[in-house]
Amino acid sequence: MSTAAAPSTTESSPAPILEARAVAKTYHLKVGRFKREDVPVLHGVDLGVEPGQWVAILGASGSGKSTLLHLLAGLDRPDSKTEGGVFFESQAVTRFGSRSLDRYRARSVGLVFQFYHLLPELSVVENVLLGAMVRRGRFAYRRAQPEARARATELLESFGLAHRLRHRPSQLSGGERQRVAIARALINDPKVLLADEPTGNLDHDTGQAIIDALAAERERTGRTLVMVTHDPQLASRADRVVHLAEGRIVETSRTEADPS
Amino acid sequence: MYQALLTRRYLSSKIMPLLAAIAVMLCTAVVLLVWSIMGGFLVMLLDAGKAIVGDVAVSWPTAGFAHYEDLIDRLEEDENVAGATPVVETFGMLGLPDGRLQGVTVQGIDVQSYARVTEYERFLYWKPTDGPTPDDDGVGGDWRADEIGPWPELLADGLALGERDRVTGEFEPALVPGIEVAGFSRRDPESGFYRFGPVGMRTPEGDVRWESGFLPFLELTLNLVPVDRTGRPIEVVTRSYPVANEFRTEVFQIDSSTVFMPLAEAQRLLRLDAAELVRQEATDPFDEAFGQVEVLDESPARVTTVFVRGTGSMTPAELADRCHEIYMEFERERRGQVPPAGATRNEPGSGSIQITTWEQRQGMLIGAVQKEIALVLLILLVISFTASFLILAIFWAMVSEKTRDIGILRSIGATRAGVAWLWLRYGLAIGLIGSILGAALATLIVWNINPIHDWLGRTFAITVWDPKVYYFSRIPNDVEPVKAAIVVAGGLGFCLLGALIPAIRAAFLKPVEALRFE
Repeated sequence: MSTAAAPSTTESSPAPILEARAVAKTYHLKVGRFKREDVPVLHGVDLGVEPGQWVAILGASGSGKSTLLHLLAGLDRPDSKTEGGVFFESQAVTRFGSRSLDRYRARSVGLVFQFYHLLPELSVVENVLLGAMVRRGRFAYRRAQPEARARATELLESFGLAHRLRHRPSQLSGGERQRVAIARALINDPKVLLADEPTGNLDHDTGQAIIDALAAERERTGRTLVMVTHDPQLASRADRVVHLAEGRIVETSRTEADPS
Repeated sequence: MYQALLTRRYLSSKIMPLLAAIAVMLCTAVVLLVWSIMGGFLVMLLDAGKAIVGDVAVSWPTAGFAHYEDLIDRLEEDENVAGATPVVETFGMLGLPDGRLQGVTVQGIDVQSYARVTEYERFLYWKPTDGPTPDDDGVGGDWRADEIGPWPELLADGLALGERDRVTGEFEPALVPGIEVAGFSRRDPESGFYRFGPVGMRTPEGDVRWESGFLPFLELTLNLVPVDRTGRPIEVVTRSYPVANEFRTEVFQIDSSTVFMPLAEAQRLLRLDAAELVRQEATDPFDEAFGQVEVLDESPARVTTVFVRGTGSMTPAELADRCHEIYMEFERERRGQVPPAGATRNEPGSGSIQITTWEQRQGMLIGAVQKEIALVLLILLVISFTASFLILAIFWAMVSEKTRDIGILRSIGATRAGVAWLWLRYGLAIGLIGSILGAALATLIVWNINPIHDWLGRTFAITVWDPKVYYFSRIPNDVEPVKAAIVVAGGLGFCLLGALIPAIRAAFLKPVEALRFE
């Protein structure tokens, strides 16, 4: 992994585990057959996430919050013209090569999506184990298979899905699917969990249950959690809420839940 | 690891891979089917073509060459030669009992040595057999299984190339024509056996008289043109001969145009037998010495060809080279008495003895079949490419359908190579299933091709395999494991080729775009 100068920290706050520095993103959208149109989405966003912190990124649709999360997850790259970038434990994710980026996604971060994104052909437990298979590779996974299977079962049990291990995603409710997706994101025990509108596709009560599950998991493990949402009520459960509007951070507020 | 799991699940949960596997199966089956039958046809052709000419021929056409017994002794002394036989080859016109005249290739052979070099005895058709007993009406059975028939005598006559005169008891030379020469005996398409019936013979008065068409009970008239040493024709000789037997190699071209006769008789008719060169003492009929001749020299008997059979230790080409070496030595000791050996074997236009392999002698026939096979395989290759594009189209659609899955895999850390391998592996699995099933299907069809062909003939009156076109009455029904392996490997290769572009496309999809794909 290539490294860059560590971002500045203050004495009062620990060094961020994940940081966006002056991150900008412009989409070059194809309009018609030959024409392209530049659509700027993020304009020099600065965001630092401390270890163990729960950060909610709040904003309206089109404000750029999902794009920011994708950049933090290494799923996309920020504009190369800007000097900033995404840093994970002081390493410049933006400068990672393809293989390093794959490793980063497999080991350091776990991703939860609004639409669950489970593979319909696989059972619940296989969907969860998929993350372990990808991370370890063929031979290492074979050696660690019992351990990985036990971990998957334990995670699913902790989310109340012990009786659903062999079921297909299509046989589950939306809330159950999202819990399977969270279990998959946690199978490799990542340092940071990134959740993109995890309740966006669920009714209020189920959404609350999902947030409760995330909160409980964080309580248990002290894992860093970055969650994108457009629901201020859900955002208020986080330690810190970052308000994003038109690709800029307009406000950062500490909530009552913030232990600091 | 995840590739294996997903390949299994994709294969079992979608209709598209099933369609792709069926496409591969059909392509593989067609290629193996055609290759096996055409390849088997070529093998049969080669076996049959070799069977009446041995491995190598040493020939000096038309005029023939002398001292062939010496050459044969020298050849047979070589450890690589199993046997050699003298043959006189010429063209003639055969007068058939029904008045027709037919151009034929005449081979004057010494049966004993010829049978050692070729499979002459096996090809004699009218002989005792353990085949099926004929039906009461004689339809569908093998005449030769009739124990009261003249089959043992006909076999003996065929092996002697002659008949005992029933009245005088003297041995007289006879002919053995190919079974398709006269066309009197016809092959029953169902049983495959030849049967004869009445044939209309023209009488000198112009009427038609119906007689038995069994050729060994009839006579043939042979017209030959002997030539002198310069190749100029002398005079047409015409002789009538009984028919000792008929032969069948299964190669229609040979069976319809070849006639065997005794070597000595052929030499005599073509003036290739031993003779004395004489000078008349006086030309004046009133001279005392008139009628007396002075023997100047003896001209030994000649043959046009010596067929050589190898022991199997050498390829025909190597054996031909060895024969050339032996001939060179032979020619050195008989310089001026035999045709020159030439510096290299079978050099066209060199004026030297021709030493050719059986493949070269049957070159036109074999070459045509080899070209036909190559052409068919080329066409099938194009069809396979079409199948490859079909796989590509199916895989392209499958990758499009699974774009979101690719995005998910990439989002949890799957590498580009890993994603590409998933699709290649998927293509490989479809190729493996399709190819193996295709090979099994083709093997099943090839093994049963003759019953299937007969059934097609009976039910729909379709005759695909006409012996007059394909020389053989039986469709080759062997599948070579090597060919099957090549076809299966080819099927796999084409599937990989078809899956390659979609796999690369999948690998280079951007995770975010793949996740947003709708």
